[in-house]
Amino acid sequence: MNLFATVASPTGLALGVVVGIVPLVLSAYYRQWRAGLLGALACIMAGFGCGLIGGLPMMVVACAVVISYAYVNRQDPFTSRAALSEVSFEETRREAFMRWMANLGTNVRAGLNALMRNKSGFIGFCGIMFFVIVTVFGPLFIEYEGRARLDRRQPGARSLLAGPSSEHPLGLDWQGRDVLSHMVYGGQRLILTSLAAGLFATILAVVLGSAAALLGRYVDSLITTIANFILTIPSFPLLLVIASIIKFDDSFALALLFAALNWPVLMRAVRAQVLSLRERDYVEAAIALDLGLWHIISREVFPNMISYIAVNYIFTVRVAMYSIVGLVFLGLVPLVEPDWGVMIFMGRQQGVLANPLAAGMLLSPVVAIALFQLSLVLFTRSLEEVFNPRLRSGL
Amino acid sequence: MSTPLLELRDVYRSFEKDRVTIPVLQDINLAVHENEILCIVGESGCGKTTTGKIIAGLNDPSSGSVLIRGRERATFTKEEQSKLRREFQIVHQDPFASLNPAHTIEQILSFPLKRHKLVSDRASLRRRIWELLTLVDLTPPGDIVNKYPHQLSGGQRQRVSIARALTVQPRLIVADEAVSMVDVSIRVGILKMLHQLRAEFGMSIVFITHDLALAKYFAWEGRIAVMYLGRIVEIGRTPDVIGNPAHPYTRALLAAVPEADPDITRRKQPMRLRSDDIPKLTAIPRGCAFHPRCPFFVPGTCDHDVPTLAPSAEHPQEFACTPLQQEGSLQPYAT
Ligand SMILES: Nc1ncnc2c1ncn2[C@@H]1O[C@H](COP(=O)(O)OP(=O)(O)OP(=O)(O)O)[C@@H](O)[C@H]1O
Ligand SMILES: [Mg+2]
Repeated sequence: MNLFATVASPTGLALGVVVGIVPLVLSAYYRQWRAGLLGALACIMAGFGCGLIGGLPMMVVACAVVISYAYVNRQDPFTSRAALSEVSFEETRREAFMRWMANLGTNVRAGLNALMRNKSGFIGFCGIMFFVIVTVFGPLFIEYEGRARLDRRQPGARSLLAGPSSEHPLGLDWQGRDVLSHMVYGGQRLILTSLAAGLFATILAVVLGSAAALLGRYVDSLITTIANFILTIPSFPLLLVIASIIKFDDSFALALLFAALNWPVLMRAVRAQVLSLRERDYVEAAIALDLGLWHIISREVFPNMISYIAVNYIFTVRVAMYSIVGLVFLGLVPLVEPDWGVMIFMGRQQGVLANPLAAGMLLSPVVAIALFQLSLVLFTRSLEEVFNPRLRSGL
Repeated sequence: MSTPLLELRDVYRSFEKDRVTIPVLQDINLAVHENEILCIVGESGCGKTTTGKIIAGLNDPSSGSVLIRGRERATFTKEEQSKLRREFQIVHQDPFASLNPAHTIEQILSFPLKRHKLVSDRASLRRRIWELLTLVDLTPPGDIVNKYPHQLSGGQRQRVSIARALTVQPRLIVADEAVSMVDVSIRVGILKMLHQLRAEFGMSIVFITHDLALAKYFAWEGRIAVMYLGRIVEIGRTPDVIGNPAHPYTRALLAAVPEADPDITRRKQPMRLRSDDIPKLTAIPRGCAFHPRCPFFVPGTCDHDVPTLAPSAEHPQEFACTPLQQEGSLQPYAT
């Protein structure tokens, strides 16, 4: 399965239906129809779009949510108000599993609630979902036009370009192809590559930043020196130079290269965060309790940085997207259609930047990229509330 | 006398700040016995927390030694040290900073229990958490276990902190201003509980406070160490120190403690110090560090030699005041 090509498929739909049945059956058992139906729907969509990779986790989450509704008033000896002597703490595997699921479900619901509570964050989330749905499900309804359509030449017209019409809502490009079809098919690689590039950069930054802060000494000075060195190089021009020497026909390699050049800023932020978090009293208590370095990193320090890291991840994704579009616009990565960036590049290449008839083919990708970026920024407003138990509502 | 649980010998500790070495602790000698209460009093910045952290093994002396049951801490092997570490726990001052906001109370208590395999299965883990919460009077525990720290009051959090320290069955707990940030109305409850826990488990408690009244109440059966600018100036059994203070600094502190009876407080004569400024740690006065403020200053003696801790005929507690040790009494300094 190609990570960089996730398109809705009939097999996926079948898979989605199969996994969707599970929460539905569960909801019938617990009489939680609403949660079950929504869960089944989410499963079908996830399976449809991403096959098992999306379907299975969604199934677990949906079941957990259903269970969390059913378990809300269940008597748990652990939370009872009886005296110690009257409580039995024995429980079966099954009960423990159910409680674990209910807990997961409650957290998911609390997260979703937090997401919806922040208006601008929710708008951002919807924006992102819009692009995801369009790129994943759009291909089901719209056929991709890859070949030039010379037959669409209007008598007397100088080019194949055309403005919006009822048949082609976004107009025709310089080869007479439907711009809408390019919009639907052309976002996927760009979005996934940016997400991957941001992810790689964030992982590098978090690992190196924590290592620098916690191990100190040589490790710290080495990492900080490298980071400062990379920071002094303007990364986009360097990316240009590297991209013009090596041809990146692989999005994966491009994402890695971006990560290699862009981790330092976030690394320094992470390092500062870890340095301040590790001075907290609760970390000192963990040291006194001899809970170990790994526990301190993963359970004491990291959970308090998640929202910070998530927000920074999103910002890195934005930068990655601009960089990639920039590279494409300058023609420094192999141009593979369909791609939003390539559409803009072609506009320049064909010298139609000032042609009003080319507005559809030029403005569509620009607006899409801008809207996607805006959605990302808005979405970050919610992240803090989703990850911080203090801000998350207690259900 | 039996070997003390913990002993600090000639402990000196300094910090580097902007290339200046700040001596925070000097010549600290003290011992904590099993099941004993030792109270450390002194004003802000005199090095109480640093002493507490050295006792808890969270900080190392720059020089001097820490002896655990007569054996130097540095000579223990790595495994022994991690075991040792658990025997000494600390309860921090700020109940809002000492619990990780990301975890529920159940998680906070279960980490050490699981990590050190102090419980065998899930049922006994839950039972143990209940027991611990009951021990610190957080009842019914069922109401607390699933809460996050921010959903609890300051006093409740401080109790959770204590419960967390108890998970590993420590031999000594350092309570660093453990009640100074909780409401006065619940202080006594927490202090009583600490007393009970000490009696029940036979632990020692090092109780750090800047409030002599609190020290008097809490450590009446134990001992008090009074610190001034990084040195212990007086140490002895609480009734001796409180009832008949020797060092002028202790006397000044005691004279400033308000009594419950307003009439007595009003009649009480605060001791007139020659100066209210506390010297900086970077410029500790020569000789006795207290001499620029001391109303019983003896020129030529106090500003020359560093006094050593010793008892006298009238004062069974040890104190560091050369004129009092030599003359047996103090004369007001006339300018
Ligand atoms: N890690 C450190 N680095 C530098 N200086 C420190 C450090 N820890 C403590 N100090 C300094 O040591 C001195 C004593 O600090 P300490 O916290 O032990 O005092 P304290 O008696 O507990 O005061 P308080 O009543 O305010 O808690 C202070 O001047 C402080 O600035
Ligand atoms: Mg302190």
